Amino acid sequence: MSPGDRAGLGRGPLTRRLPVFGQASAEPPATTPFPLVAGEGARRFTTRVALSAKRLTVPAAALCIVQNVAGALVPVIMGLAIDRALQTGDLARLSGWLVLLGAVFVALTLSLRFSALLAARAVELVEHRLRSTLSGSVLHPPDGRVPQADGVILATTTNDLTRLSTAVNLGVYPVGELAGIAFVAVSLFTIHWPLGLTVLLGAPVMVWLMGALSGPFARSARHAQALLADAVGRATDLVTGYRVIKGVRAEQEATRRYRRESRAALDGAYRNTGSLGRYLAGSNSISGVFVAGVAGLAGFFAVTGDITIGELITVAGLTQALLVPLNLLTANAGAVGAAAVGSGGRVLDLLRSATSAPTPEGRVPDVTPVPSLELAVGGHEPVHVEPGALVGLRTDDRTAARIVTALLAPRAPDDLVDVRVDGIRADRLDPAQYRSRIVVAPHEATMFSGTVADNLDLPGATAQHRRTALWAAACDDFVHSSRDGLGTEVGENGNRLSGGQRQRLALARAYAADPPVLVLHEPATAVDSVTGTTIAARLRRAREPQSGHPRSTLVITASPALLGGCDRVVELAPALPPVDGDENGGTR
Amino acid sequence: MTSTRSRPDATGLPVAGWRETGRELWRTSRGRRAGMFAVAVVGLVSAALGLAMPVVLGTLINAVHAGTADAATVWWTVAVMVATATAGAVGAAVTAVLAGRIYQTMLAELRERLVSKAMQLPQGVVERAGTGDLVARASDDVAQVADAAQRVVPALTSAAFTIVVSFAGMAALDWRYGLALTVTLPVYLLALRWYLRTAPQVYQAERTATGDRAQQILESLRGFETVQALGLGDRRHHRVIRASWEVVRHSLRARTVQNMFVGRLNVAEYVGLSAILVTGCLLIGAGQSTIGAATTAMLVFLRLARPVTQLLMVIDVLQSALASLNRIIGVVTMPTTGDTPPSAPPSDPAVARLCGVAFGYPGGGRVLHGVDLTVGRGERVAVVGASGAGKTTLAALLAGIHIPDEGTVTRPVDTVMISQDTHVFAGTLRDNLTLATPGASDLDLEAALHRTGAAGLLDLPDGLDTALGAAGRALTPAQAQQIALARVVLADPELAIFDEATAEAGSSYAELLDRSADAALHGRAGLVIAHRLSQAAVCDRIVVMAGGRVVESGSHAELTASDGPYAQLWCSWSTATGSAGDGPRAAEEARRA
Repeated sequence: MSPGDRAGLGRGPLTRRLPVFGQASAEPPATTPFPLVAGEGARRFTTRVALSAKRLTVPAAALCIVQNVAGALVPVIMGLAIDRALQTGDLARLSGWLVLLGAVFVALTLSLRFSALLAARAVELVEHRLRSTLSGSVLHPPDGRVPQADGVILATTTNDLTRLSTAVNLGVYPVGELAGIAFVAVSLFTIHWPLGLTVLLGAPVMVWLMGALSGPFARSARHAQALLADAVGRATDLVTGYRVIKGVRAEQEATRRYRRESRAALDGAYRNTGSLGRYLAGSNSISGVFVAGVAGLAGFFAVTGDITIGELITVAGLTQALLVPLNLLTANAGAVGAAAVGSGGRVLDLLRSATSAPTPEGRVPDVTPVPSLELAVGGHEPVHVEPGALVGLRTDDRTAARIVTALLAPRAPDDLVDVRVDGIRADRLDPAQYRSRIVVAPHEATMFSGTVADNLDLPGATAQHRRTALWAAACDDFVHSSRDGLGTEVGENGNRLSGGQRQRLALARAYAADPPVLVLHEPATAVDSVTGTTIAARLRRAREPQSGHPRSTLVITASPALLGGCDRVVELAPALPPVDGDENGGTR
Repeated sequence: MTSTRSRPDATGLPVAGWRETGRELWRTSRGRRAGMFAVAVVGLVSAALGLAMPVVLGTLINAVHAGTADAATVWWTVAVMVATATAGAVGAAVTAVLAGRIYQTMLAELRERLVSKAMQLPQGVVERAGTGDLVARASDDVAQVADAAQRVVPALTSAAFTIVVSFAGMAALDWRYGLALTVTLPVYLLALRWYLRTAPQVYQAERTATGDRAQQILESLRGFETVQALGLGDRRHHRVIRASWEVVRHSLRARTVQNMFVGRLNVAEYVGLSAILVTGCLLIGAGQSTIGAATTAMLVFLRLARPVTQLLMVIDVLQSALASLNRIIGVVTMPTTGDTPPSAPPSDPAVARLCGVAFGYPGGGRVLHGVDLTVGRGERVAVVGASGAGKTTLAALLAGIHIPDEGTVTRPVDTVMISQDTHVFAGTLRDNLTLATPGASDLDLEAALHRTGAAGLLDLPDGLDTALGAAGRALTPAQAQQIALARVVLADPELAIFDEATAEAGSSYAELLDRSADAALHGRAGLVIAHRLSQAAVCDRIVVMAGGRVVESGSHAELTASDGPYAQLWCSWSTATGSAGDGPRAAEEARRA
């Protein structure tokens, strides 16, 4: 990037002062959620998405018409110039035509540039709006209803949304391309009506034929892409597990498994080139024969004297002009439309799933700001966590896992765990209120990429909270000793931290949230014994009330050190029968 | 990118130079050269057939102009046009199919060689470069080259041949028309130079933004429980929206750059068409050309404009695909030096030995100083010590990952090592278990799971067919570790090395994993890098390390009886866990059970 080129668009001294149009603002604009219509099918939904940015797509389509007409005018003007000026050999006369051709090119290039920019903007804005809608209702539902499997949501919120949004282009480019074809047909009409009629009748047949050919190709291309993604995914997976493979000397087996995937991808690519070949051969012969037919027909009329030699040259040029929009229309519109409807269906399903989840029936009862928590596990005496209490709970792994699951997402009590808040069944409460009172820090905590400070940025957590939390979770050593302090990047899912550091930061985050009731599940298993003792010793201090309200804590752990730091320890005998003679390693 | 040889830089894996890439591609093309020749011939012929239409139309115009044309002339013209259009279309399709298949086959071969080579490379080399580099080459670079096929192959074959043939045709028509075309060259070259300077980083920024967007969405999904538990929904929502908007910004920039490039190409087209008109005007004025020839020249140029645009628009794709190819071939052509340490002879009572071993990582100080260690047949040796004492390095040297600077290492060929990395492979539970023993039956697998106390895994919804890994069911670290241990049972090696294999597991699972590890070591020699002393206490012999040296060695009873470093470690550990004297007994009971 040269120093004067502030836009970073590679502009030289001549052009860098020109205004740059159509760039996006630095800050995301406020968007309104994309509305849902009851009983709408995928096709109608996709159509509605395609037409949802008319303020941009209508001008873009108008400019696209200008561009296609200008494109068709180029060979016409060339033909006229050859007929009128070249025959005379008079350069002065030619200069007029050159100016006219230049004017057409200016119109062509400007309309192309701005229609492309407006269309791209429309696509991007629609995609952003849909993504915001999905993010707000499915990825981050306000009431915490559990979504469907990860893989589906990820694919839908990334690739499907992109494919659906390209449907917006269908309101722009095909319009221009059809206008281009119509312009050629009308021009031919004015030259000699049978020529125009031929194109007018022939063009729709061609569009249909070529569209039918492009369908299978687009499908096989998508299939081949999916197979390639599998092969790439397999390679990533195997190489990520490199140390494991080397450790058990499974190099050959790993290579064999990759080869299998790679060959499947190659097969897909082979089939795809095959259908590409059929498509190319078919569409190019059809269009070639059609153009030859029109040109030949014009030749007959020229021989019979129905049209002049100049008009024959113009027709030759016009037939060339016909090919471009015809090819673009048939190669793109159908495939884009079909893919968009397919993706549209999946997006619609996901949007609907978010709004159709059941809500608790009846009036939702309220609980006190710092409620008491009561856990009844498999017929044992219930465990009480009164406001302000610090209770340790020791039990076997499977029972602990069941308790944590029940606390994370309260459901109707099963035969094992019954959670009550202020004596009310937890599943009867408003989920948002439940979460504002009771925070469960699962053993498998997730870190988000960003800095230590980003990960501690919780609603309601003050700087004081964060400092105390880091201290209490014994994070001082790696946070304060590192050069960037709180600005230390933690990496994807905290992978730049060691297992122990990650676990301590997760504990600090749970402390920083400062909820009325905090449930910790095995919060210090990956740390050495000295650090473990420190964390246990600071546990009480971490949960001291900072705003007047008492703070209660339940620590589910087998660690003697942590249990030693609690006010009271409850032992629960295993509530589940052992599985087939051996213990389960914590099956979820 | 100017060097011609592989240059392994300080840490990274080598990147091939252009000449080496060329040589390797030529070698890979063996057996497909006839096909490539056919591509060139068929491609040139079908492109040449495309010239027939402008030429016969020009001839027809001249004939009409001269008044010599009749219906037969027109019929001939139409017949030639139809025949050449059909033949040209079929020829172009054959070219695209042949070229595409050759490209795909060569790419498949290269990516398979890449993965195979990655697996064969001495582990030390890969460890030094970081496995991330290797992952990026096996995934991003391969995808980059494969994606390029969709756009580059048709552009390179049909467009390049059309350009060559059109120039030739134009020159054959009248060399002066050909000359007129050359005035467009500087315009095209300037536009291309500008594009290659500007576009790659703009597209790269767009790709990065897209990657970050997917990353943010994925993190919200993975951390759904955490997000909900801590009320992070709003904050995560805003991060996703911000990431989404960054894509909008970069995409619009990228489209702007593309539009600017197309604008420059339009200038070139205008220059070309004007040059044809001026040349035609001068030539016809001098009586040296006909309007038919001028029409032919115009039609040829109009037909040329699209392939040229198509080709230039993919130059940047081609450029980055070639850069990826250099990175792939850099690994493919790396030498594999076989450096497995010799195994001990069967008469030797020790199964593995380190004699006077000293080692330091490149660019760092010595980590190990004159370490001697023997592992007897069926003996179980624990290595303990503070972090930084050199335990992991010791294990890596015994496993053959690193080569000692001084001293010798002997170990059985039949050695298996479990490191702290517990990767669960995408695939079924069965696939994960059979990695080291592809021929194992389901009964073997179940027996191995039972033996390592991991039969609970069989309770997963689809049993051995349960999909695991990135797209499948998530396992706890403890479960992942149990799979690794079951693999050891299945592989049944002479020597097993466990490097802090169970250190990360939750403390309530630790005891269970200790028992699993114990079962996996049954009947074989083992070297255990112990994180918790309960693991060490049940071993036959304990080696205490400090500062890269062995400072103490003996059985648990011997060492606790003496007042050495181990006794101190044991004392502080058992106080912290509140299980003084309890650990070894419990573990011993477990072992007998």
